[in-house]
Amino acid sequence: MRPAARQPRLTRERARAVLAGLAVLLGASLVLAAIIGGVRIDFSRALDFAHPDSPDFVILFRARLPRVLLGATVGGGLGAAGAALQALLRNPLASPDVIGISGGASIGAILVLALGVGGPAWILVPAAAFAASLATLGAIVRLSTVHGRLNPYSLLLVGVIANTIAAALIMLVTAMVDSLRAQGVLVWLTGSLAQRPYSLVATVFVFTVLPALALWAQARSLNLLALGEETAVQLGTDVARVRRTSFLASALLVGASVSVSGVIGFVGLIVPHCLRLAIGSDQRLLIPASFLGGAVFLVWADTVARTLLAPTEIPVGVLTALCGGPFFIFLLRRQEEGRGI
Amino acid sequence: MRIVSLAPSITETLFAVGAGAEVVAVSDLSDFPPEARSIERVGSYMKPNVEAVIAHRPDLVIAVPSPGNREAVEGLMALGLRVLVVEEGPTIGDILGAIGRIADECERHDAGRVLVERLRERVAAVRRRVAPLPRPRVLMVVGENPLVAVGDDNLLAELLREAGADNVASGLGRWPRLSVEFVVKSAPQVVIDSSMGDEASADLSFYAGLGIEAVRRGRLHAVRLDEVLRPGPRIGEGLEKLARLLHPRAFGEPAPAARPAGAPR
Repeated sequence: MRPAARQPRLTRERARAVLAGLAVLLGASLVLAAIIGGVRIDFSRALDFAHPDSPDFVILFRARLPRVLLGATVGGGLGAAGAALQALLRNPLASPDVIGISGGASIGAILVLALGVGGPAWILVPAAAFAASLATLGAIVRLSTVHGRLNPYSLLLVGVIANTIAAALIMLVTAMVDSLRAQGVLVWLTGSLAQRPYSLVATVFVFTVLPALALWAQARSLNLLALGEETAVQLGTDVARVRRTSFLASALLVGASVSVSGVIGFVGLIVPHCLRLAIGSDQRLLIPASFLGGAVFLVWADTVARTLLAPTEIPVGVLTALCGGPFFIFLLRRQEEGRGI
Repeated sequence: MRIVSLAPSITETLFAVGAGAEVVAVSDLSDFPPEARSIERVGSYMKPNVEAVIAHRPDLVIAVPSPGNREAVEGLMALGLRVLVVEEGPTIGDILGAIGRIADECERHDAGRVLVERLRERVAAVRRRVAPLPRPRVLMVVGENPLVAVGDDNLLAELLREAGADNVASGLGRWPRLSVEFVVKSAPQVVIDSSMGDEASADLSFYAGLGIEAVRRGRLHAVRLDEVLRPGPRIGEGLEKLARLLHPRAFGEPAPAARPAGAPR
């Protein structure tokens, strides 16, 4: 499909309609995902706020709801980051996992898991992962800055290398610790949304919504940047600033999501893509739509992950990678055959 | 005889049958008995270092079968070293058999027979004591995040059964990954968590919010898996410890103090 030829003009009404539709879809998904579960519960008892100790109440509000909300938050962050990165790097195959932040964040989390640092793991692991994602971000920006300008191609290459180094470091750590800890590391890498308290969900929500809004605010500039750097400059865009802000915001989104849920791949690739095919590539609509769409996607992916083999769970990252891998190849083939995306 | 032990449980058995003085090298995590800690290490039991083993000029190498050490074990055999590979599970009977074989192989036949007999008697004593008692619904957790529990067909499952437990995760596979929802729904009366060390170091706050009977009645316990439930000669102690947690009164322990629902530990 050739976006320029077929894309309907973006009007305020159409943008509103698309976003409202996706918001309704997200709301319905949250409710349905909270109803569907691997364990059958009695909703008259689950919603009986006078008895918050009943198993049904605990299952709904302490086990199921936090992870549904976390799924929406993480999926939204990954979706928005994916949309922005694809515009920023002018590469439809770019995704949050590609720029090296997930690899860097993983190292932080895994060092805590592997060294068995004392203290509560539920907060230490995300904190370490987030700190490591910021450090990686700093290093990647520095290494990709040529003559004072952030170069998107260097960025992509440095990101790939950063991920490779991270993977090697992770293997080194797992080789050095005992097998039980090594297993914990591997499990973390597959990505999961289970067993996260509300306080953590709320923290991640803040660290997701703020950068996502920052990206949305850059949408117009990202549109111009997609036309090519020279054109954007001629039209009065401060390209360096836009790149820096958008990249920083995307990295924050990825860092926040990886830190709390491990590596959940391909959400940031699939969701912006499908939406671009459906609603066009205007970032002013695509970024918020990718946020809502990513949230819907991950909420459902996690619902499948926790119900398919209940009471056992499949790691949700495995599930998204299984859907995403073949989709990525499909996109690549299309691109190679010259049909564009 | 110069012996190299490639698993912590084998090191324990060698010491228990009186062959400790002949052990010249052990696997990394061999920490019991305390004398074993000062013996030279030759890599983990998953990945033993072949060259380090050879350097000790062993007359006998003892290993447990594992996917990680297969190449190393085959390599040592190919070099003409005497390597004994003992299967340790998944039943108590298998462990007793392994202890007997190790004892025979290092020429401690009588000591091995006495040890096996004594362990058999300890297991039988626990079995007799818990037989008439009602079996509490028990969840035994071996991994925290994700939640992995003891299912069926493994040593811990048999120890739980012998200790008089009704395992809530039975019928779900050997080491099922469980959802939090299942844990709440299965309403365990006792939870034993071996994923985070002993009572002093474990952070059990995760269970506090679940509103399950085990927490309300103060029957949430942390145990150290590697120390107590290693498939070696301390298996009798491990079983007794489990039985004591499940049936405190039958073993002369005070009844557990009830805690208010959801109280932090």
